[in-house]
Amino acid sequence: MTYHTLLLILVAAAAVAAVMARNLLLSAIMLALVSVGASLVLFDFQAPWAAVFELSVCAGLITVLFVSAVSLIRHEESKVAENRARFYAMPLVMGIVAIAAWFYAVPYFESLEDWARLGGRANTLGTVIWDIRRFDLLGQVSILAAGVFVVNSMFPRRKKQK
Amino acid sequence: MINSFSMDWYFITLIFFAGMYCMLVSRNLLRQFIGLEIMSKSCLLGVISVGAKTGNLALAQALIITMIVIEVVVVAAGLSLLVKNYRITNSVDIWSLNNLRG
Amino acid sequence: MTTSLLAYLLIPLFTAILIPFAAKTRRKLADVLANVTLLAGLLNISFILFNPANIALSFSNITEDGFALLMIFIIYLVALCVTFFSSYFIGDDSKVNRVPYYSLIMTSVSAMCGIVTTGDFFTLYIFVEVLAVTSFALIASDESGKGLEGAIKYFLLTFPASLFILFGIAFLMLTAGTFSFESIKIIIASGIPAGAVVFSLSLILLGFLIKSGVAPFHAWTPDAYEGAYAPVSAYLAGIVTKISGVYAVIKISIMLRLFEIKAYHTAEILMFLGMLSIAIGALAALRQKELKRMLAFSSISQIGYIILAAGMGTPLAILGAIFHLVNHATFKTVLFLNSASLEKGAGTSDMRKLGGMEHAMPWTSWTSIVALLATAGVPPLSGFWSKLIIIIALWDGGAKTYAVLALLFSVVTLAYFMVMQKKIFFGNPTEASRNAREVRPAMLAPVVVMCLLIAALGVFFPYIYSYLVETIAARIIL
Repeated sequence: MTYHTLLLILVAAAAVAAVMARNLLLSAIMLALVSVGASLVLFDFQAPWAAVFELSVCAGLITVLFVSAVSLIRHEESKVAENRARFYAMPLVMGIVAIAAWFYAVPYFESLEDWARLGGRANTLGTVIWDIRRFDLLGQVSILAAGVFVVNSMFPRRKKQK
Repeated sequence: MINSFSMDWYFITLIFFAGMYCMLVSRNLLRQFIGLEIMSKSCLLGVISVGAKTGNLALAQALIITMIVIEVVVVAAGLSLLVKNYRITNSVDIWSLNNLRG
Repeated sequence: MTTSLLAYLLIPLFTAILIPFAAKTRRKLADVLANVTLLAGLLNISFILFNPANIALSFSNITEDGFALLMIFIIYLVALCVTFFSSYFIGDDSKVNRVPYYSLIMTSVSAMCGIVTTGDFFTLYIFVEVLAVTSFALIASDESGKGLEGAIKYFLLTFPASLFILFGIAFLMLTAGTFSFESIKIIIASGIPAGAVVFSLSLILLGFLIKSGVAPFHAWTPDAYEGAYAPVSAYLAGIVTKISGVYAVIKISIMLRLFEIKAYHTAEILMFLGMLSIAIGALAALRQKELKRMLAFSSISQIGYIILAAGMGTPLAILGAIFHLVNHATFKTVLFLNSASLEKGAGTSDMRKLGGMEHAMPWTSWTSIVALLATAGVPPLSGFWSKLIIIIALWDGGAKTYAVLALLFSVVTLAYFMVMQKKIFFGNPTEASRNAREVRPAMLAPVVVMCLLIAALGVFFPYIYSYLVETIAARIIL
């Protein structure tokens, strides 16, 4: 319970740090930390498969994508005149939201809990993926195909001109 | 002391708000994507928390794996859009996106 | 999931994967493959729908979901028109790369068929994401700055909207334990406390309203439609926005109806948003200078009618919403394809630079007139009947103010279209229009076919109505 709460605090703190970081590279690394924290939370929930996916894909692949995008646009980031005051105000705003959520949102979530209904049979992950949610796999195939076509259309292989 | 489920959702609200604040405040496109990512992380935590509450962890894991696959494709596509835009306009500022008016 | 309709989803996906390999050396082959696949699918679905035996048996031999069949028909029709048009629109020296362009269109057709055939909220979400990813790549496909700008705006609004849908799905898992439409209907009917289920359905509804570009969330729509590559904006306005947003709104409002008075507030808000977007769209369209932007605002206004009827929620209103969805897909495709023809023929679609185009481009002019009269609801064209159904349903359901306002704004629709027609096609020729020439006949064919369909839907309205009643109202709504 305490460990669980500490993990959630870590995720929230990393999220705030990712938003507030002045340097985009630091921001991307903090985002990876958010992913690592989320994956630890998933392990704590006894969801190892999702945790491994989260750790390898989100903390790994997405971080690589972000870091490469940052390095491509690096010399440009200083030209965007961000209003830093808004970022410095963030801890204050987050504090206000945290206090307000403690008094207003938490009772709502507690009332939601009364409506929870237990999902009947204890299935294994394999049964759920292959038998119950088989159609989702088709969706995954089509989104991967869509991703390939999108990248292909954005960066076409140029024919040698002249 | 409040119980685990409400505690989860309390932090999920905070993380979601952090991402939303980032999207509202920042002018940099890349930072907007980072905000979007943080928001979708909070979504993922919400699904697993609900799965644990209803004793349906297998279903929740199946959903999360699908969500992660979608997230990767969306991020890759969004970043390629950003890089393409950067090559043409030399800017990652959303305030420079003002050619379409009317 | 209706497995009998799975082929409509799998074959375009297969073609999409085939195109890059088949058209590696001969680029034109991509056009041929895409067109042939869509034509085959269209003929197949038309045979199921318009078989004369169906009318004789009063559609009792159609066992599948009638709504899904109708949607598949309209998806294939619009996609075929757009691919046929763009196979002539993309010149040989164009910046648009044919192979990924057609692959993306085929993937999005497949995703749209997935959306309309699925019976499950999470699968619906996956295919909506596929559709969103493909459509912003399509918006940016001509590599212009405007296209990229529209695509980025679309991206930044549509993906936060998906997060609302996901949160709704999470709450649905908590309170209902399932995502399938049928089980949710059973759970609603079993009389559990409505609050939490209505809350989760409302979150999902909010996400889909943002995706469909309804009034307070309409910021992305005009930019994306104006910036998009010309045939793509016809595709987006004609079908993609309808399927990714409005379709799910209609589905959810059918469910909300089962709550009777418990979901009263959600339905009320839905009707208000519908009326708001009718008003904002129509008033903003009056003062636009760019044709595509004006059509985009008109699109917002017409979506408002659909949302208004869906919020009303009586069987007649839902019928009107579905029929207006089909009609809107036909006439908005015609108008956007005509704006693309104008860009090709006269070099611009800016209303200030055009005038007297009826001499230079007579076919484009006349098809525009047919489509705009249908949009404004002039009998006997198809738009008249769907608006009539919606207004009668509103009046019967007790929303008399909304009925009167909807009627008034359909006059405003006629007004802004008449202004558009007068500025572009009538009057004195300007410099741009003197040099204009009519586009080639092959590019006119999709528009003419669509116009014939608009007229046919209006003239054969009794058959269409009995189809809607027998296959949709009798089986799904009631």
